Amino acid sequence: MQTKRFWLAGMMATVLLATVPGTGRGITIPDTVTLHSQSKLYEPFVFPHAKHILIVKECSNCHHHTTGTLVQDPNCIRCHRNSSETAVVSCKGCHLPDAFTATAIKEKNKKIYHRDMPSLKAAMHQSCIDCHNKMKQGPVGCQDCHVYTKEGAAFYNSGEFAPKKKPAKGSHGGH
Amino acid sequence: MNKLIASGATVVDSPQKSSGRNWTIMEKLFLGLSFQQYIAQAIRNPFNWVFGIIFAIGIPIIIGRFIFGLSWVTHSSYDYPWGLFLGFGLFGMVPLSSSGFQLGTACEVFGRHDLEPIERLGLLNGLLGYFFAVIFLLCDLGQPWRLPYPMVLAYGPAAVLFLVAWHVATYLSVQIAEVSVSFFEWIGLPIGIRAIRKITLGMTVSGIILSTLHQGALGALFTYAPGKVHPLWYSSSFQWIHFFVSSIPGGLCMVIVVSTIASKTMSWRFDERFKDSLDRITISLAKGASMGLATYLVIKLISIAHDNKWGYFLTGYGHWYLVEIMIGVIIPMALLAYSIHHKKVAIIRFGALLVVLGIFLNRLNTAYITFNWKLPYREIPHWREVAICITVYSIYIVVYRFILYRLPIFYQWKAAEELAPAYVAETETRHQRRAPEELALAYAAKAENDQ
Amino acid sequence: MKRRDFLKGCLISGAAASLGVPSKSLAVGSFEGYPDAMGILVDTTRCVGCRSCEAACNKEQKLPEPDVPFDDLSVFEEKRRTTEKAYTVVNRYEAGDGKDPQFRKMQCNHCNEPGCLTSCFVNAYTKTREGAVIYDSKICVGCRTCMVACPFNIPAYSYSSAFNPVVKKCIFCYHTRLKYGKPPACVEICPREVLTFGLRSDLIKIAHERIRETPDRYIDHLYGEKELGGTSWMYLAAVPPEKIGLDETVGNEPIISNVKEFLGMVPMVLTIWPALFTGFHLLATRNKDHGADHHTHSEQEDGKK
Repeated sequence: MQTKRFWLAGMMATVLLATVPGTGRGITIPDTVTLHSQSKLYEPFVFPHAKHILIVKECSNCHHHTTGTLVQDPNCIRCHRNSSETAVVSCKGCHLPDAFTATAIKEKNKKIYHRDMPSLKAAMHQSCIDCHNKMKQGPVGCQDCHVYTKEGAAFYNSGEFAPKKKPAKGSHGGH
Repeated sequence: MNKLIASGATVVDSPQKSSGRNWTIMEKLFLGLSFQQYIAQAIRNPFNWVFGIIFAIGIPIIIGRFIFGLSWVTHSSYDYPWGLFLGFGLFGMVPLSSSGFQLGTACEVFGRHDLEPIERLGLLNGLLGYFFAVIFLLCDLGQPWRLPYPMVLAYGPAAVLFLVAWHVATYLSVQIAEVSVSFFEWIGLPIGIRAIRKITLGMTVSGIILSTLHQGALGALFTYAPGKVHPLWYSSSFQWIHFFVSSIPGGLCMVIVVSTIASKTMSWRFDERFKDSLDRITISLAKGASMGLATYLVIKLISIAHDNKWGYFLTGYGHWYLVEIMIGVIIPMALLAYSIHHKKVAIIRFGALLVVLGIFLNRLNTAYITFNWKLPYREIPHWREVAICITVYSIYIVVYRFILYRLPIFYQWKAAEELAPAYVAETETRHQRRAPEELALAYAAKAENDQ
Repeated sequence: MKRRDFLKGCLISGAAASLGVPSKSLAVGSFEGYPDAMGILVDTTRCVGCRSCEAACNKEQKLPEPDVPFDDLSVFEEKRRTTEKAYTVVNRYEAGDGKDPQFRKMQCNHCNEPGCLTSCFVNAYTKTREGAVIYDSKICVGCRTCMVACPFNIPAYSYSSAFNPVVKKCIFCYHTRLKYGKPPACVEICPREVLTFGLRSDLIKIAHERIRETPDRYIDHLYGEKELGGTSWMYLAAVPPEKIGLDETVGNEPIISNVKEFLGMVPMVLTIWPALFTGFHLLATRNKDHGADHHTHSEQEDGKK
């Protein structure tokens, strides 16, 4: 059973950040980052990093205390008031691909800080969608960024896999 | 029937024909009439035509329910998992069947021999009520063939329903045993009668226990749904008491109603003892019922006060609650009080009918009409669900009538040896007519003396 | 399971009209969950209503094809509930006050002391050590009391099946995942980690930490921490619970607490009634031969006819 579900376990969990150099000192900032989960549900998608730098300007909006100006968040500044830029600034550098394995849960509980750190997938979706919502621009729908693979369409019963329209059955149970 | 008897037909009320030959089973089944006579009287009866139409429609639907599943006969509601089968059928039927244990208790435990003429009706009413409640249950269960599971396979003893299942099963057996006395007399098995006689007291006491518990347990079932049953019909502390106490007038009034219907439709089956004592017994039962109603009303009010739910009376549900209480409790209480005092049996009978309807309304309100009061929609039952309910109730009535026609419920079975000197029996009967009353008086006098 | 066995034992002994009554009533309503039970923290402020969890649940539990695709957002036009075809549904709630609409996923909350479990007369439900409330369809009779007893209106029933209708509800992906320490399918697919999987005890801490860190984001209430004796699934929200369809009137007592007054009365009736009524009988018939004799007596009376 476990192997059968292996693809689910890895699904959407590991995102490869292509060619991101680990330095936050502005030496190599990628123009694009290809986000490709191992999931078979979605096609890989190219994140326009440069465009976001132009629009957002402030790195720490997304990168917390790791790069850019110092953080303002009252919860973070308790420790990171004077933190210098870190060596690792990429998302995957800190956010785990899978936050809910038994070991991950155990590890988390040993920590004092950052115990409630979202997984890589969650970190990105939270960052992206929240900001896009706030700025009232940018894609927020699932397929606005990454489109289904055939398997994805089947998974969501969408497109060619959409259910055939059945005659609506008058049931009171559906409330 | 009356016409036939007037024209000289005799009905079976003893093991032997007047000619001295024993009745055969077939003759007993046809009430001592010839086959043609029997069919003719059945066809003459307009009720049979009504039942015929109901069965023609309803029985195929019942069969369909078991072939096509519940979704064919109900709206398959997830929010109203218990539909009419339980709300109207089971929950309505069981309280009206408490007559079995009450009359059993009165006659066998408290020695109220003045009620004896109607004891058997009470027992039969109880048995049939429970039996058809189980029929309703079988219609409602998803997998009725698994009904014995809680008895044999898997136990959930912390569940109220587990108690209900066991108690109803046990109590049904007890009631079958109690009623079987009449059957043994009718079929001619004196050894069976003697066997049952020996255990009557034990059965009656176990009947009280089982009845108290599962009448209450049916109420307690609703304490699993504190957020769904409307607060006016819900009380964590009192729910089971409400159901138990209301079943007391319910059962007694059901006996009054049934005996009334019988006296209108089948008085030919009554013997002199029953005919003469019916009015007196009706008043006695009504006294019991009004005590029950008064208790019920008080407990109802206490439970409202206990949880301070007076505010709900200002809502639509509150008005509906008052309607229920008026129909089922307050008006009948007034009617019964008046008519008991003035010995107006007709009014008692009307009051009893109101009580029966009130019980139905109460159970239906608790389980169905006001259930899920927080949900934005109300469930309207599927017409097939209604049809099945009507059909099962019709089967109930027909079976009830079938038994009343035959078994010595309204009349006393004449034993073979008494028949031989016919004149003795006749004179004795006249002499015996007021015997139960005298007996009661004698007991009262004795009791006073003892004090 | 210990506690349930204990209850069982007590009631059996109660049914046998013997001892064990007081201890049973003490035990009722005192169970606070297994110490290493897992749970899910649902942070409704993160949910955007993508319905991925519904799709994942559908595939994981091999449920029938849905009526509309899982990316069809028109389903939010009406409030849906769990059905035999969907163990979980997401609903959209208008929060009012110019706030964005809120989404909430709905599924079995896996109570510590479930109403369905305590109401089941064949013991078809089990609260596992891992925290899941699972169901054995092989012994279910189909009385549907569990559906009546569930304060969240979760269990559905496959009415359409004529010969094997069963209860359908979320089982925490127990057999395929939870048992092996893995989170349920919905948690795994959730893109924004609306669903946090972990030890229930840890989740309570995390939830309160979130409220403390970002008090503007949440109302200070973790729904399910105490409600109905605690549930394995707990909800954080930006709005009061009733705004997102969570019933606040359920109270903190588990469902069984409402029933215990009756259950406590049962052994009393079983023990006291026989003696009481036999006594009544002796009193009522004391001035003549009592017991079986009185029947022969009345038979003689009847016999005179």
